[in-house]
Amino acid sequence: MLDENKTLDEQSAIESTQAVPQEETVETVATEEVAIQEKAVETVATQEVAIQEEAVADAVEVEQFFSQEKEAVEKKAERSPNVKVRKCLKAIGYYTAGTIMSLIFLFPLLYMLATSTKTEQQYAFDAGSLMMFLPNVTDLATAFGNYANVITGYGMWQYTINTILYAAVIIVLNIIINGLAGYAMAKFNFPGKGFFSFIILFLIVVPVETSIIPLYSIVNQMLHLTDSNMTAPLAIILPASISIFNIFLFMQFFEGIPKEYEEAARIDGAGTLRIFFSMILPLSKPIVATVATFCFIGTWNDYVWPTMVLPYPEEGMWPLWNIQAGLTSVKSATGVTTGEIMASLVVASVPIFIVYVVAQKYIVQGFGSAGLKM
Amino acid sequence: MLWLITGIVAAALFAALMAVVIKDIVVAKKKKVRYGVRESVSAYLLLAPATILALIFVMLPIVYSLGYAFTDYYLLEPDYMQFIGFENFIKIFESIGKQGMIYHAIINTLKFVVGVVPLQIGLALGLALFVNNKRKGTGIFKVCYFAPVVISLTITAQLWLQILSPSETGLLNSILGWFGVPPQDFIRNEEGAIWWIVLLSAWQGCGYQMLIFLSGLSNIRQDLYEAASLDGANKWQQFLHITVPALRSTFLFIVITVFVGASRVMVQPMLMTDEKPHTITISYWMYLEGYRYREVGYSAAMALLMTIVMGAITLVQRTVLREKD
Repeated sequence: MLDENKTLDEQSAIESTQAVPQEETVETVATEEVAIQEKAVETVATQEVAIQEEAVADAVEVEQFFSQEKEAVEKKAERSPNVKVRKCLKAIGYYTAGTIMSLIFLFPLLYMLATSTKTEQQYAFDAGSLMMFLPNVTDLATAFGNYANVITGYGMWQYTINTILYAAVIIVLNIIINGLAGYAMAKFNFPGKGFFSFIILFLIVVPVETSIIPLYSIVNQMLHLTDSNMTAPLAIILPASISIFNIFLFMQFFEGIPKEYEEAARIDGAGTLRIFFSMILPLSKPIVATVATFCFIGTWNDYVWPTMVLPYPEEGMWPLWNIQAGLTSVKSATGVTTGEIMASLVVASVPIFIVYVVAQKYIVQGFGSAGLKM
Repeated sequence: MLWLITGIVAAALFAALMAVVIKDIVVAKKKKVRYGVRESVSAYLLLAPATILALIFVMLPIVYSLGYAFTDYYLLEPDYMQFIGFENFIKIFESIGKQGMIYHAIINTLKFVVGVVPLQIGLALGLALFVNNKRKGTGIFKVCYFAPVVISLTITAQLWLQILSPSETGLLNSILGWFGVPPQDFIRNEEGAIWWIVLLSAWQGCGYQMLIFLSGLSNIRQDLYEAASLDGANKWQQFLHITVPALRSTFLFIVITVFVGASRVMVQPMLMTDEKPHTITISYWMYLEGYRYREVGYSAAMALLMTIVMGAITLVQRTVLREKD
């Protein structure tokens, strides 16, 4: 941290501030989402609903008082065996319906997993029976053979490494560039601040249909990034490193950090960058995690842009494509089997599945921000 | 040429910034407050990287997408770009009149939006209401319904390509085989293909909106329902008079985001059928025209038309959904 000779009191003070912003995030993210999307319209609507609700609740309390007798009668009725049976039947109905719907939602994924373990003959043999949804357990060599082929033979490991590298660079740049901008907007007073906040709001609100072609003309004809294999990855990384929405998220979060901590650090002689990296960022772990998670998901799932700017893989060269683009190259390879295609889909799904499980909390916090991009 | 336009845009923005800066300093002087020079300089330095990147990769594409629409810009020859007025727009309307590719793209996009918006939102709301209770095990149901969201659109498209495979070993055809139905070619079928894309898109996306609905539902106070049931309101009345009004803002948010997302559909037809009149969509058409055929001006004109239409529709959606109060 900032000061090596920190007393216990100071330490606990910092810890307590760490706790405060963490609790606030859920609220801030939720309100931000509303604020950006609907702004005044929404707040008015929700306020009205809230007022209505309160009025209803008041009336209800009075009535509740009078209807306690009625409640007592109902409770007696619940105890009778007839109602118990009915409740049990209801529960059975509920779970059956839920399971059937789960199967409807999961069957394509089960099919993908099951088929990924089969050879072409087994796949054709199982078609039309319930075995379609069960993995091949009789012959484990072919079960893992598809995965081995896809990962080494079709180069999925290279695409995976590429994507992880792209994502890592994008996450770091995204947090530093947008975080610094958000920090300046939240904590500094300077002439022209109104201009910057107007630009930020304008760019968030204005809907633009597919600026992907103009963006391509800039990357291809103005910056010439796609001309050589050395600069092509920059065409993936640079446009993804700037996100006006993330600047806004950081700005909102940093405003919640008390100014006293910064002032204390300044008196201790820490510079602006040092304050940002060793105090502001550590205090903002929740928002940093949310931004990082969504950057990773976005980079991993991106398909159209990488196939536009990255060169087509050549024999004997390290390919530059990311994982989703790599999937299409597996699919169009000559002599590829259905099982191998499915194995490649599973390989591309597993890492993102792990991210969803690990970063669950931050995804729920930030789903408003992804709702904007979709 | 492109650098020249970039310079003009940057200069215009810089001039606007300077004007605001000078105004701010003058106002501050009148109020007898001063801006710290060091503080201001470090703020500008902190904002510099984001500003440069935002200028090149966020603002310029917006400026260009407006400007290209009135030129005959061919992707590889930016120096021969010429201003041609409304010619691109005339060409678009002529193509619609002749029932060309744009006509199909518009029809298919309309079909997709009309199909996917109610289906996806309805499914999401239904599922959210279904799992929104205190029974044990609803967490597992939630995970099951959310699972398709995790896989990307690319994976979804390829997976369903196998499920809808025209050979008799394809999943759906082998199931239809039980009933003696001969193998169908679902995705090349001119009538049905777009509806299959609707179905798989709703399957992939609805878990996400379910989560948003669930967070909206969790904000409703439980005692309202208890009170209503004491008053003798049945489940349907409770839903109509408590749940629906409380979910209005969530609903508005979801309708607009799903609508905007649906109207941009592109990856599914791209991966499942390539350029075919029965599945092409507006976004995919703009991509093909601008990238594969390199007629950036023509593509940008369509993008401009679509931005205007979309802006108008979202505005209408907002007013209509707000007025119901």
